[in-house]
This record gives sequence, structure tokens and C-alpha cells, in this order.
Amino acid sequence: MKRFCVRSVCGAAFVAATCLSPTSGYAADASSRTNNSTAAISEIGAPASERFADGATSEIPNFQKHVTPLLGRLGCNGRACHGSFQGRGDFRLSLFGYDFKADHEAMMAENTGRVDTEDIEESLVLAKPIDAELHEGGKRMDQGSWQYNVLRAWIAGGAKATGSDVLVLEELEVTPSEILFDAADSKIELKVIARWSDGTAENVTELCRYTSNDDAIAAITESGQVTSGEIGDTHVVVSYDNAVVPVAVIRPVSTPKITQLDSSAHRIDAHIQQKLDKLGITPSPVCNDSDFLRRASLDITGTLPRTELVRSFLADTSTDKRERLVDQLLDQPAYAAWWATRLSDWTGNNEEELNNVLPVRNVASKLWYEWLRQRLLQNVAYDDIIEGIVIAKSREEGEDYGTYCENMSDACRPGGETQFAQREGMPLYWSRRNFRLPEERAIGFAYTFLGVRIECAQCHKHPFDQWSKDDFDAFSKLFVPIRANAGAVGKDSKEDREKMLASLGLNEKTKGNVLRKTLTQSLEKGKTVPFGELYVDSANAVQRAKSQAAQMKKKGKKVELNIPTGKILGQEIGIELDRDPRIELMAWLRSADNPYFAKALVNRVWANYFGRGLVDPTDDMNLANPPSNEAVLDYLATEFIAHDFDLKWLHREITSSDTYQRSAEANDTNRLDRRNFSRHIPRRYPAEMVHDAVLLATMTDATANETTKTLEGMAITDALSLYGDTKSSAFALQVFGRSGRESNCDCDRSDSPSLLQSVYLRNDVDIHRRLADRSGWVNQTCRDLGFAVSNQAIDEKPSADQAKVERFKQMVKSRIVEFNKLPQKRQDQARTKLKDQIKIYSKRLAEAGVTLPPLDALVKNPSLLESDNNSKDVEKDASVADSKLLTAMIEDAYVRTLSRMPQQDELQTALAFVNDSEKKSDAVQSLMWALLNTKEFIISH
Amino acid sequence: MRFHKTCDGHSRRDMLKAGCLGLGGLTMSQYAKLAEAGQENVGKTGFGRAKRAIFIELPGGPSHMDTFDLKPDAPDTVRGKFKPIATNVAGIQISEHLPKLAAVTDKFAILRGVSHTLAAHQLGREYVNTGSRPIPSLEYPCFGSVLSKERPADDDIPSQVAVPKAGHGPGFLGIRYASLETNSTPQFGQPYAVRGLSLAAGIGVEEVQQRQQLLRKLDRRFAEFESAGSLIEGLDRFGEQAYSMITSPRARKAFDISQESDSFSKLFGEDPFGQSCMLALRLVESGVTLTSVQLGGWDTHQDNWTKLSTGLLPKLDAGLSGLLAGLELRGLLDSTAILVTGEFGRTPKINDRSAEGGRDHYPRCMFMLMAGGGVRGGQVIGESDDTASGPRHEGISPDDVAASFYWNLGIDPAMEYHSETGRPITLVRDGHVIEKLFA
Repeated sequence: MKRFCVRSVCGAAFVAATCLSPTSGYAADASSRTNNSTAAISEIGAPASERFADGATSEIPNFQKHVTPLLGRLGCNGRACHGSFQGRGDFRLSLFGYDFKADHEAMMAENTGRVDTEDIEESLVLAKPIDAELHEGGKRMDQGSWQYNVLRAWIAGGAKATGSDVLVLEELEVTPSEILFDAADSKIELKVIARWSDGTAENVTELCRYTSNDDAIAAITESGQVTSGEIGDTHVVVSYDNAVVPVAVIRPVSTPKITQLDSSAHRIDAHIQQKLDKLGITPSPVCNDSDFLRRASLDITGTLPRTELVRSFLADTSTDKRERLVDQLLDQPAYAAWWATRLSDWTGNNEEELNNVLPVRNVASKLWYEWLRQRLLQNVAYDDIIEGIVIAKSREEGEDYGTYCENMSDACRPGGETQFAQREGMPLYWSRRNFRLPEERAIGFAYTFLGVRIECAQCHKHPFDQWSKDDFDAFSKLFVPIRANAGAVGKDSKEDREKMLASLGLNEKTKGNVLRKTLTQSLEKGKTVPFGELYVDSANAVQRAKSQAAQMKKKGKKVELNIPTGKILGQEIGIELDRDPRIELMAWLRSADNPYFAKALVNRVWANYFGRGLVDPTDDMNLANPPSNEAVLDYLATEFIAHDFDLKWLHREITSSDTYQRSAEANDTNRLDRRNFSRHIPRRYPAEMVHDAVLLATMTDATANETTKTLEGMAITDALSLYGDTKSSAFALQVFGRSGRESNCDCDRSDSPSLLQSVYLRNDVDIHRRLADRSGWVNQTCRDLGFAVSNQAIDEKPSADQAKVERFKQMVKSRIVEFNKLPQKRQDQARTKLKDQIKIYSKRLAEAGVTLPPLDALVKNPSLLESDNNSKDVEKDASVADSKLLTAMIEDAYVRTLSRMPQQDELQTALAFVNDSEKKSDAVQSLMWALLNTKEFIISH
Repeated sequence: MRFHKTCDGHSRRDMLKAGCLGLGGLTMSQYAKLAEAGQENVGKTGFGRAKRAIFIELPGGPSHMDTFDLKPDAPDTVRGKFKPIATNVAGIQISEHLPKLAAVTDKFAILRGVSHTLAAHQLGREYVNTGSRPIPSLEYPCFGSVLSKERPADDDIPSQVAVPKAGHGPGFLGIRYASLETNSTPQFGQPYAVRGLSLAAGIGVEEVQQRQQLLRKLDRRFAEFESAGSLIEGLDRFGEQAYSMITSPRARKAFDISQESDSFSKLFGEDPFGQSCMLALRLVESGVTLTSVQLGGWDTHQDNWTKLSTGLLPKLDAGLSGLLAGLELRGLLDSTAILVTGEFGRTPKINDRSAEGGRDHYPRCMFMLMAGGGVRGGQVIGESDDTASGPRHEGISPDDVAASFYWNLGIDPAMEYHSETGRPITLVRDGHVIEKLFA
């Protein structure tokens, strides 16, 4: 594994940049550090700027160690210049370097004059950057400068490539390894030592590229000088060869402390506190019970707590009630439902991409979801769940093709998902339309299971990570032999499949809609239909290698059998593709020293609880984007593995920490903190939760209790509603930013609020319908209180349809009005025409669910076409409600929406509102409407 | 609903965000503006002629060489299949598949040799939507968000509408300046409404008002966290605005394209993009400050010419020419700034990824179109070299275009916003107003 670590030379955690108060006592200052390290330096090659200062040295620079990095430093291989895909001035270098072969060839290309070992000074790579030859990129260096001398000496030495093997950089050591500033505009120089596997070491400070992750906090010059700015913490990033090393930079809020890890505290809290101490931040206190209950319920189960639970939890005085609550929540069906939705997000469960995989539409994503849900319900270890996906086979052990198709046919019929969930593997993951090419698989696999974005490396060296284009190519090769096309089957099943097709009156050549239609119909009739299967086409690769070898042999050349290989990311040894590479891939994923697998999951789960990951964005683990608290991530990942990938352990560990339970109230030190978890950061709840919260809050207790058991109609479980346009919930979920699961990015899900979301909650027909539901809470409560319930019906159709309906009605009306204007005689003639005209409208209105009154009635009274606003029940409430009952009603409304009791003033406001209202049932509805529209309803706190 | 997807996926803005905003970072719920924008510029050429704006985004990156920057004399390896045709302005030629635009070329300016270096969709889009090259520590706001802040519409009409989705968010201005996304596109000959903007049957305005009053009294939970940032602030703003829009008929009417006559609608072409352009016109007319419209699908790595000639160009041709003609007809062209752009051009060199060939991402040379307000139509600004591989002379940057767009709208591109911590941020960091546009 090629990993680059920042080496802490003196063992000191910090180097203070400037003038820290002498009493603080924990920071060595930069200069003393340098002195301490002199002994080490003597073995380290002096910087190139010294060695090549006068050009008199006999040293020949190395292409990989010196020339390529120097070209990077000079900006030659940047995207705007020769690093562009089309090159520049017909000269193209690989973007960000590291394609040494291609770069060397480009420089040496014949008749270009770029490198001329005879007439050295005339070489364009020397003449252009000093702008002696007109250079579009301007002057990049001076003649006679050390940079010039390096390039010159390299050319004079024969302009050699590095050799066939790329040199291995063992370590890039950056000092200081962490920087603590105590004021703005302080400066410190970085020093960088490269240690190569051949035992040499060299000061390469001047050959590195430097960037800052937040230049408002720490700016960095191109020579590696860091300047402090605003208060906060960030990283500056050093890049050299294929190494990328982040250096933490901190400017604390108040006097920082260096503290020992508090061994008695919760491990998460201890690590978080240590970082906060460095930053001089005091965390907010732990939140109150009702906040905790609502937060934990929504975060763990995606569901608002039921009203009885709110009341009993608030009344409970035992000290361990929070832990018990978490246990209770983890046992609820909604837990499995919600996390299966999250796992569906990360694994890319998308019906559209699975469109043709099964003979029936809208089933594949349901099967996928249910397969995950069943495993979460049984708390199957995370690595075992993933194994079922990664090494998935279509057929179970001992299942022949016929039985497989029989079982899958059953699985595809209504209710068959339970049966599918019992199957060992979930091969649908491999069958998606956007997961067919080896490159797509490499990118998608790394996204899902590693939380790594490697797509940059598809074309060039990853700018923020170690991955080279070669790494990417070798990794994607692993996926070549895996076949999972809709209609394809392995060799041994071909005959059976043909037979089965024949029995349905089809053959191999039937394709497209005809095939699909027949299969769907046959399936519906209870027949068994053929299914495609995932198979590993290793024989093919071996065969090809063998025939190649045989041909070479014929030509009299002695050759070894060259079986194609692929490589796991970061592994040196290739996997021969004469076997299923996924077995080794899976073994690597779950091995204890895998640097990504456990972390990716832990980090995503963490982000579910905190709104941001320890590494953020959660799917972008790379060297330049280190975790905000590495100790926490390491601890959780290590322990997660040690606990055999027990997901419930992970949930318990996180939710039992004070860090999770922090209040949202800020103090002077943590007001601006957004990345160190010193307080709860409010965020908008995910689309599914908002949808379900409205649903549950407006249901009667009895219905809601039933619903949270069966989860019927809830978006956290109804995966299909994510895609079906026909379901009305699809609109709400889209507006609130559910994940489209289509682009290998956790950002497919959005938690930003928007104007349309506010419009939705205030005035969408969904909301009005929920409030006016005859069997809903509002009406039930009104009946209980003896309030007259209005008979108004909320139009069932969304407003676009409604507008259409209104339009048609108006057209009908105008026709009738005109008809009525005609003299009696002409009316008789015109009646048939009118009838025909209205027939057309009435047909279209019927499509929208509206029935027109009979024509005669309409002619008599065109106002029948007015909207039924007037039919509103105007009966007044005679009953003066009992104030105790009213109070109870208001409390109930608060508990079911905000999971807490109203405060005194809130109660008074609500009471006054109801008492002042003429029509009490409208008042109850309005109260519920207002509560659904409070920020507190959709914002975490 | 499906929107066009590009080859590197969408929503990738955070590729550069490694490390993210730290404590004290520029999340900026509160910021102060340094100077009232542009007082000193009033009266200068073209400044503030436009009051409202339409931003037409062509995500995917349209090929410049096959649209507005043809090179009929270039070698086969780059030229492409389309022929140039004359326009109603002598000396200006555009693609043969844009005949309607050729007939109204006097109404818009063509910018050629616009050039930048970001070849990834999301980064490129962020760049052309903001006019500032994306940087890791700060997310710049899109045009509409700046206008929402500087030229807010009346409360009962949104300041910024995106049909159907916004290409970029409000960045450091905070979500309260985000656009209203319609999430759908209007269809020819059908009534159109943004769901939720009409009052449902059975609910009167008075009732909504009472409810809103109750809500204001009860919704105080986060009052003490006022500094908690743009989330709370934004939600408050959206809530008030939603209320105004629901209770007034103005927004509803503006969205209802069926109020236009058939003959007028047909000017725009019958596909959803054309109808979106007509919707944009209605919205401008009703007081929306900026409307953005998208026509996606330009990521033509394969089958470039078939895709352009059979779908993309006819749609663009009808929609945009209809928009220019319609605005003129209504007397709005002089007060409406229009900017049309993709995130980059496409490689001059034709690839062999499909039988027909295609073109890949190419930011170094692209085109943009500007019209309306103080912009003088019927001119070409900038020039690309013989193979359209780069600007012939000094290129035009997206920053320059953004600066000019703001200038047209009376917003000084050099105005400064301030971060919470006092860091000054120039609206358009590196742009210069292209004076020729307004000459």
C-alpha cells in the first residue's frame, strides 16, 4: 500500500509559528526544531537550488525526481498550458505529471527542437520558459537560474528518461507536521524531504506544489511559506511526485490547551474534546430530553416519535433512559427501513438504470431495497451484506438454471420481494445500465465501497490523491470479466434458456418490446420465464492469452503465458483474471488494514447523525481532504471492524456520546464552528423524513401506530415511490431533494431549503388534503371536541390539473352562455352541436376525475360550473369548548408535530386563536397547519 | 422527471471543495455591502439599461464550431459537417441549422473566442454561472442570486425563477437568495402552473392570512439562534415570500402560459425549451428579476452532428429567436439583458468515438451570446483562430462576460461584499466590461 504519512520528527505535536507566549510551554518554536534536526539533515541531499546554483555541478538531474516536478512548479503541465488535453503549441504534457513515459516522449519528439542535446541552449524547453523564444505562457524562469541549470544539466546529461520502472517514493516528510498560529499575518516556512525506496533522500521544498484548503485561514505561497489569516482550522497541502501530504493549520479561538486524552470519557467525546482544546473552543452543553428524543428518533429511524413515546420518555426519570431509547429505536422496523434507504443511496439503487434487467418494470429496485432491508432487520454484519453484493451470483449453490428462473419468476410477482431477500446474493448491483463498462464500475465501486472519487485518474494523475492513470486502468481491468447484461447467461445455461424461450413461443432473436411484452405477460400468467444471469467470463481471457502465446510460439518466439491481470487500488500485486477477481476484492475490502472500507461507512453514518462527515464531502476521502478529527474516524473504524462490522454497535456508540447530544445553542467560542462538532448544527431533515413527518403528524394515533408498524405509505421504505411519477409523494420527495442515485455522488441528495419547499408545506394540495382528511387527526379531534366538521373536500388533483379543470369548465360555461343567448329556434338546431362540443370536454374532465352535471341542468343553471367554494359548510359552532379539553388538544398537536409540550405562552397563543375563531374546526386545522410550517418541524435541533 | 445528464455526472461542484469551509470560513449568513453599487457609473455607456434578465444555459457544452463560429476553410479533421449561412447582418455567418436566428442576428451580439481552462462540466458551469473561477474556499453566487439581492422583486413575485432547475446556487450570499425552481417545464398548448401557487378549492385568502399570523406568533423556536446562519434566515425569507405569492394572483398569472395566444406561442416553437423561453418572457413582464432557462444535452462526445441537427439546434433556433422577437414585440428587449452560454466549447479535432464522430470538452475556445438592454445587436465580438482552437488575439474570459452582463443591469462588477469576518470579496474578481458590446 502506497501511503504517505506526515512524519513527526521531534515528537512534538505542534510547532508554533511565531511568538507564542512562553508560559504556554507546549510548543517548540520553529527555529529550535530546525536545530534539533541538523543531524538528520546531513544525510539528506541539499536543495536543488543550492546544488544547481551556479551550474557547475556534475550531477545529472533525474527526470522523475527533478525534471517533472520542476515542470509542475513552473506551471508547464497545468491545465491551462501544456497539461491541457490538446496540449499547447503542439506540445502536450500529462496533467499534473506522473505519466513519465508520455512526458519524456513528448519532450524528445523528433524534429520539434524541444530537447537538443547537441545545441543545448537552443532546446525549446530552455529557450521558451525564459521567453527568449516567443512563449505564449510568458516568462517562467530566468536564464542561469537554478531552475534553468537543472533543465540544462539534464539535457547535457543526455536527457534520459528515468528508466523502465517508476521510482518509488517511500515517504514525503513535511515539517512542521502541524502549525499553530496565535495571530494573523504570522509566517512559517515548510520544509519537505523526499525519501526514495533506493535509500536516497533529498530536500525537495522547492520542487513541490502547494495549495491551501482555505486561504482565508492559511495562505500558502508557491515556495511553501504559510501565512496565517482568520481564526479557524484547515490544511495546507503539499504535492510532490505521487505524494499528497496535508499539514494541519490552526488558529485558535481562545487560548488553546494541550490536554491528555480523558480516559474516563466516552472515546468519541475524549477525541473531540482534545481537538476542541487545541482550538480553544468550549462545546455546548448536552441537549434536553425532548430535543434528544426527536433528534434520535428521526436520525435512527427516520420517523417522528409516536405521541405515547414522547409522553412516557419525558415522564421517565431514570438515568439510563437515553440509552434505552436508542436500543428501542434500533429494534423498530423503521430503523431497517430508513437505513436500507441510505444503503440504497450509496449502492445506487435506481429503477431507471435497472429498466430492462428484469422482465417486469418497477420491480428491480424494490427487490434490491427489500434485500437490504431484511439484512438490516436481522442486523447482518456490514461486511457480510456487502459480500452479498460484491461477490453476488445469480444462482444459489446447487440451483440449476430452470429452478433459478422459477424462483426469480416468483420473486418478480407481487409480494415476491420477501422471497428474493432470502437469496444469498444481490447481483442487480452489477446489472445497472450505468455500471456496464469497466471504467464505470471502477468509479462506481470506489464511490460506493471506498468513499473515494477516482474519476480524475481516468485521464490523469489525481490532483488530490496518490492515484495515477495506471492505477485507475489496472483497477478497472478487474471488472472486465464480469458479465451482467439483461439477457445474457453463462455458457452452461444457454441451452436451457433457449428451450425456455421456445416454450414461450420465442427464440434467441426475439428482442426489444416484443420479447419484453411476452415475458411480462407470461410471467403474469404464472409461467416461468428466462432470466439473465451474472457470470464471470474468465475462460475467455485465458483462452485469448493461450492462443496469443501459441501464435508467438509458431513464429519461433518463446513466450510465457500472459494472462491478463487487474490490480486492487493501491496494491502492488496483480490478480490474474482467470478466476473471479471479486473474491479477492471482497477479501481486501473486509481486511482489517483496508484503509477505506470501514472508514467510508463509519463516515457516512456519522454524517447522517451530524449533517456532515468527519471527512466531508463524505464520498471524497483523499489525501488532500483529511478528516476534521482523524482520531475519531480511526477509533470508530477500528472498533467497527473489531466489533465484526456490527452496525447497531456503531449507531449506539455514536448516539451515546455527548458529542451527538450537544445542544444547538452556541457560545462565544463555538459560534462559528461548523466542522469540529462542538455544538449541534441545525439542518433540514431529508425529503423522506419531511414527507413522513407530515403524514404521521396528521394521522390519528391509531392509524399512525399501525403505519409505523407496517410502514405502508411511508417514504422511508417505499423505494418505488422515489421513481414512480404516478405517486403523489414523488413530487414532495423531489422538491425536498431525495437522492436521484444516478451520479456516484452523495450530493445526489440535497438538504438545502428552497422557496418551493415553503410553498409546498404552506399550500400544496397534499398538505391541504392531509389536514382535511376525514379520518385524520384534525377531524377526529374536532369530532371528539364536538366541533362541527366542515364538509369541504380538498380537490384531489394537483394544481396543474386543477388549472386545466378550471379552464375546461370555463370553456363549457362560455359555450352554454352563448347557447343561452341564441333565440329559441336556433337553440334547437344548435343543441346537437353543443352536445358534441361538451362531450369532448366532459371526456377530458372525466380524465381529471371531474363529472359534469347533465346538459339540461347546465343550460338551466350555468353557475353549476363554478368551483364548489360555496358548498363550504358555514355552520357555526354553538358549543363553547371546555378549556381543559382545548388545552389537551393543543398539547397533543405539539407532541405529534414537534415532539414536545407547548410552552405557556405558546399555549396561550393557540388557545386565544381557537377561542377567537368563529369556526372551531377551521381553527384546529389552522393550528396544525401552523405547526407543520414552523421551522422547528423540518429543522433538526 | 429526467434532466439531461452530462458525461461526468452532475452536482459535482465540490470536487474542489476538499477541506471545506473552516471555522470562520465564509459561509456568510450576514455580510455587509461596502458601497451602494455603481452610483458613479450611472450615465456611462450601457450601464443599467437593462432592468431584468434572462439567462439561458446550455449545459453539456455546445460545440462552437457547429453553431456560431464555423470554419468552412478548416481541414477535414476539424471542420465538421455543417455549412455556414448568411444572416440579416452583412458579414456575419452562422450554422445552416439556425435559420431563424440568422433572420434576427441584428438583435444579438455573438462573442467568439471566449476562453477559460475548466474542462469539467460542474466546474465550468459554476464558472459561467458566476463569472468567477471556482476556488476552494469560497462559493460565488450565480447571477440570479446577486440580482435577487440587489434588485429584489416585489414580495408577491419571486426575484429569481429557474425553469426547471438552477445551474448554480446562491453561494456565499446564502440560501435566502436561491431561486424558485419550477421542477417542470411548460408544454405547448397546456395550462402551466407551479404546484402550490394556486389556492386549493375551499381555502380563502382570509384563512391563509389568519394562519400566517398564527404561524408568525408560534414560529419562534430558533429566534435565539439568529446567528445560526443562513439556514434559519433563508427559511424565514422563503416562508414570507411563499405567503405573499400564494395570496396574490400575480405569480400564478405570470406562470400560466396558456394566457398567450396560439400564434404568439408558436413563435417560440412547440417543444418545452421554446415554451420555457415564452414563460421567461412572461416572467420578465411580471417583474421577475432574473429567469434562467436550460436546454441540455450538448455533451456530444458521440454523433455530434446528428444530435445537433435533429434536436438541439432546431430547438435553440426556435426558442431563442422567438424570445428575441417576442421581447421586441412587447417592448421589453431594451430593458431585458440576455446571456446565452454553455460551460465550454468542444474540441475542434473530431474524435472517433462513434462512426459519425464527436467532439470533446474544450474550454479554450467557446461562444456566448448577449442581447438586450444596452447591448448592440448584429455584431461579432472577439475572434477565434483558423481552426477555432483558441482566441486569435486576446481572448474574452467568462469574467469579462459576467462583468458586462452585470454592467448592462446596472450593477458594478467591481462592487464588494464583505464576509462575516470582514474579508472583502469583489463581485467579479477578474472581469473587465467589454465596452464594444455597448458601443
